[in-house]
Amino acid sequence: MKLCAVTSDFSIDDRTIEACQRGDPEGFRLLFEIYKDRVYSIALYYFAGDEAAAHDITQQVFLKLMTHISKFESRSEFSTWLYRLVTNACHDRKRALRRFLSFDSAQAPEIPERRKSAEQRYLENERERSIRNAIAALKPKLRMAILLKHFEDLSYDEISVVLGCSKGTVASRLNRGHQILARKLAYLRDGWNPGV
Amino acid sequence: MIRKHVIHHLSAYLHGELTAPEATRVESHLHDCAKCRLAFEEIQFGSYLASSIPEETAPGLWWQEIQTAALAGKPDAAKGLSWFQVCTVIAGAAAVFAFSAFLMDHTPVSSTSSWEIASVRGTPRIGIARITETSRLRPGDTLQTNSNSEVELKIANIGQLDLDPNSRIRLLSTNSDQHRIALDRGKITARTWSPPRLFVVETPSVNAIDLGCIYTCEVQRDGSTMLHVILGLVALDFHGRETTIPAGAYCRTRPGDGMGSPYFEDASDRLKQALEVVDFGKDERDRARHLDVVLQESRARDTLTLWYLIPRLRGDLRGQVVDRMMALAPPPEGVSRAGVLSLDETMMNEWKSVLERVW
Repeated sequence: MKLCAVTSDFSIDDRTIEACQRGDPEGFRLLFEIYKDRVYSIALYYFAGDEAAAHDITQQVFLKLMTHISKFESRSEFSTWLYRLVTNACHDRKRALRRFLSFDSAQAPEIPERRKSAEQRYLENERERSIRNAIAALKPKLRMAILLKHFEDLSYDEISVVLGCSKGTVASRLNRGHQILARKLAYLRDGWNPGV
Repeated sequence: MIRKHVIHHLSAYLHGELTAPEATRVESHLHDCAKCRLAFEEIQFGSYLASSIPEETAPGLWWQEIQTAALAGKPDAAKGLSWFQVCTVIAGAAAVFAFSAFLMDHTPVSSTSSWEIASVRGTPRIGIARITETSRLRPGDTLQTNSNSEVELKIANIGQLDLDPNSRIRLLSTNSDQHRIALDRGKITARTWSPPRLFVVETPSVNAIDLGCIYTCEVQRDGSTMLHVILGLVALDFHGRETTIPAGAYCRTRPGDGMGSPYFEDASDRLKQALEVVDFGKDERDRARHLDVVLQESRARDTLTLWYLIPRLRGDLRGQVVDRMMALAPPPEGVSRAGVLSLDETMMNEWKSVLERVW
């Protein structure tokens, strides 16, 4: 299995899927490398920065992927299925945790930082934390639509397949989610130019 | 000419998801309709915020864990169980069933739609109606007490709420996800025994999020709020910024300004008075003068207060706070003054974990 199986936009081609279906460990490794950050990021933001939850979800999704990949014939079907797995895993975990403990930890865990001055990093971190908290406070259906749109850049059609709802419902959830975020975080509007 | 508003199509328009004729219709409507233009700007801003969060990196080492788990058969746990495993699962299920049956018999039924009034003194009202001990508080209801009345009510089945005289609350929502009230004025005492973050009190200045605790929350005439944590922890949230208040501490908040710095109840009166100016004062020189008092009066335990002052202050003032903290509770190895001054998060967290032992 060679990396040339990866297409330029970091998605996968049918050969990668076929390799995985034959049980090629390098194929699975490749899938993991390509999708791990996306799966992890969705879970991390869904669970308000809870790294342990995001870790579990990532592991769970890839384990399921390894045992069920034989069902898939094309990469488009595959990516839709993968995001549906992530969505279901997140919803299931939230439901399970709801009974015993909150999925938000007492103090929102920190998301690792990038190389910037500490002062700037602090301010950016505060901003990111606010956005993350506002996203985490959205209703789960709105939250997942927002994450799939903005992390994965899925089309409304793709999101509707992943979430099992109509395209109109996706549009409505995104509309509502964007409005809630804008109202809740209106204080971050300074310096924002709607024309940009 | 009356034309149908296009608000419901604005995200789809923004993301290029409409057909050409639909997009033209939206565009033309936006040109003429100020209401939809405002909504569009809002949606653009919401979309901009959501798209500005960075993708995070999952450690590559997890691949080893996944492979190990896969080899152990974890993904298909239902298949290929041994008889011993089957028996264990059955025994576990039986135990869970028995425990569930016990709980059903012994746990109060969760009311997802209203809260039970536990006791009443005087003549409190829900809306305009006088309440009795059989009344229930429903979402949308306003419960208020006058100078001669008090109420105790159950927060669904997760806790108890006492409403002092001259207080008013509104029940905003109550369901298995969250129970939320607004405290418009007066004082409540909340006792909860639920998982964290199930009970939220909205005040005119911040939201108080229960993390499993006993606390009082008092909203004063000017909308400022005083929180006192008696047991456990409470998080105060101001536009997504959280401050966690430990047991024995107070925190004042103000509308528009959010949280002040938390302080312990046994801190000196001089510290408390000076802190008010440092937290909410507008005159920088006055704040600096009062900071001197806070620093002089601080004990090791008051590093709680100083900790929350660090990011609020700049330049020399921040340096003075860090120096005082270093004298009161030296940071662990690897945490430098320069690092803390520049708000190095790793160092801040390392030091905080040491400080929490004296808080």
